[in-house]
Amino acid sequence: MQQVQYKFNWKRLVFYVSITLLALVWLVPIFTVFLTSIKSTTDFYSGVGLFEWPDIPQWGNFKNAWIGGRMSMYMRNGLIVCLCKVPLGIFFSSMLAFALTRLNVKRNRAIFIYVLIGMMLPLQVVLIPVNIAYSRLGLTNTYISLIYAYIGFGIPLGTLIFRGFFNGIPKELDQAALIDGCNSWRLYSTIILPLAKPAIATVFIIDFLHTWNEFMVQSVLITRDSMKTVPNGLLSFFGEFSVDYGLLNAGVLLSIVPVLVTYLLFQRYFVYGMSGAVKG
Amino acid sequence: MAPGLLIYSSMVVVPAIYSVVLSFFKWNGIGKITAVGFRNYVNLFTRDTVFQIALKNNLVWIVLTLVFTTSMALGLALMLNRSFKGRTAYRAIFYFPYMLSWVVIGIIWKWIYNPNIGFLDEMLKLIGLGHLNITWLSDPNIALYCVFMAALWQSTGQPMLYFMAGLQAIPHELYEAAEVDGAGTWSSFVHITIPQLRETFVIVFATLVISAMKVYDVVYVMTEGGPANSTQTLASYMYSQTFAFSNLGIGSAIATVMMVVMMVVIIPYVLFTTKQD
Repeated sequence: MQQVQYKFNWKRLVFYVSITLLALVWLVPIFTVFLTSIKSTTDFYSGVGLFEWPDIPQWGNFKNAWIGGRMSMYMRNGLIVCLCKVPLGIFFSSMLAFALTRLNVKRNRAIFIYVLIGMMLPLQVVLIPVNIAYSRLGLTNTYISLIYAYIGFGIPLGTLIFRGFFNGIPKELDQAALIDGCNSWRLYSTIILPLAKPAIATVFIIDFLHTWNEFMVQSVLITRDSMKTVPNGLLSFFGEFSVDYGLLNAGVLLSIVPVLVTYLLFQRYFVYGMSGAVKG
Repeated sequence: MAPGLLIYSSMVVVPAIYSVVLSFFKWNGIGKITAVGFRNYVNLFTRDTVFQIALKNNLVWIVLTLVFTTSMALGLALMLNRSFKGRTAYRAIFYFPYMLSWVVIGIIWKWIYNPNIGFLDEMLKLIGLGHLNITWLSDPNIALYCVFMAALWQSTGQPMLYFMAGLQAIPHELYEAAEVDGAGTWSSFVHITIPQLRETFVIVFATLVISAMKVYDVVYVMTEGGPANSTQTLASYMYSQTFAFSNLGIGSAIATVMMVVMMVVIIPYVLFTTKQD
């Protein structure tokens, strides 16, 4: 018995050591970013190694990236787009999923497949027509253009997750509500939606990440610097001839903050909501 | 239901159809538009060597991601599936890169590969191999694999979560029964875990293939398709044909090829996910 106990602990130690080593390797890139963000350009060229702590940590890089590097502006643009897009997207896709699961819509499987296919189309396929349409309408360089486009792109995944979740809510609930005189709008807004908090949290995280991080569509529709969101804004740190790596990496860290906050706020629902999507 | 469908149709379906139509024309976006039939496609497949490199790169990428991303994600999920202290923290660490923008991934890894002061270069110096002096991203033979490493770091987290969800759904009794029958860890992994994860594998494979076909931002930031077009992907080539050279017809044709390749994977997947009800 004693021996079994001993062997068990030994295995556990190996397990801990190996998973911790893996995690450390996984963190190397972000650690590099941090060490770079507190150095000045001269530190790199005067031979301060990448892993060395600089003589004078350049905390000012963060301030410079925020103001001089215009991160404050890019992040504000990103937040405006996200905070309009995400709630609207949740509203539209949950309604769509509600109709597909609760109202007896004809051909609901066909409609669902029609919507799902959009999730897998490469965005490249819509890039040219959307660009042409927006420039004819004079909508390039506006928030509206981005918000509308992102809502459209986000509907398939949102609908998939909400549909999976709504399917798990017992149908008896509807019947009870209908007997009590609820119409479908009341059923959706006062019964189904409040029950779907994990799904809402999941879609919130995913949509927020996608919108905050989207680069390609944004780089086509937005040409004016003052309207750029974060990914494209970060690229403007690459100057014509040189890059201030300290400043760039400080900008990278700043751009991650909202994403981390969103994840931490909603993460306890996240795995649960995701598995709803997986089960379909 | 209607507004959602309307926005989706106007933003995704109609433009996609328009793109397919456009691929049969020659147009620079401003001037005259001429119908050319299948000539855009014929040129791409018979004459355009860059297109062929790009197509090959996407296929290589699919193989790499199916082998490495899947096994990495499954390995991590198996480790994280045990209960131990700090599990949530470890899960967050491995998932974390998935939350970053591809542009950020590109910036970080371009810096890691920096041939003078990057992380890898410093590492090689540290272990006394500094003389190797590999110019990671400017070597056409290895550049694509270097970019893939960045993508591996980013995209392991998501399939890892899928696998964790899948592993939790496997009934414990199966393992207990196997143990009674004298099956070892390896044989219960092969005979229970793998078959039970069948549905998860379908989802993971489908999502990985789809994202492999879409690879763009990270290539754009790290190499812009170079050196000598060696890291060009269909998406990056489509972008440069369309927006740098104003060949809207050819750009649309490349986008259509991407769509067709993806459809081959997607249609069985969609039928599979919607079948269960």
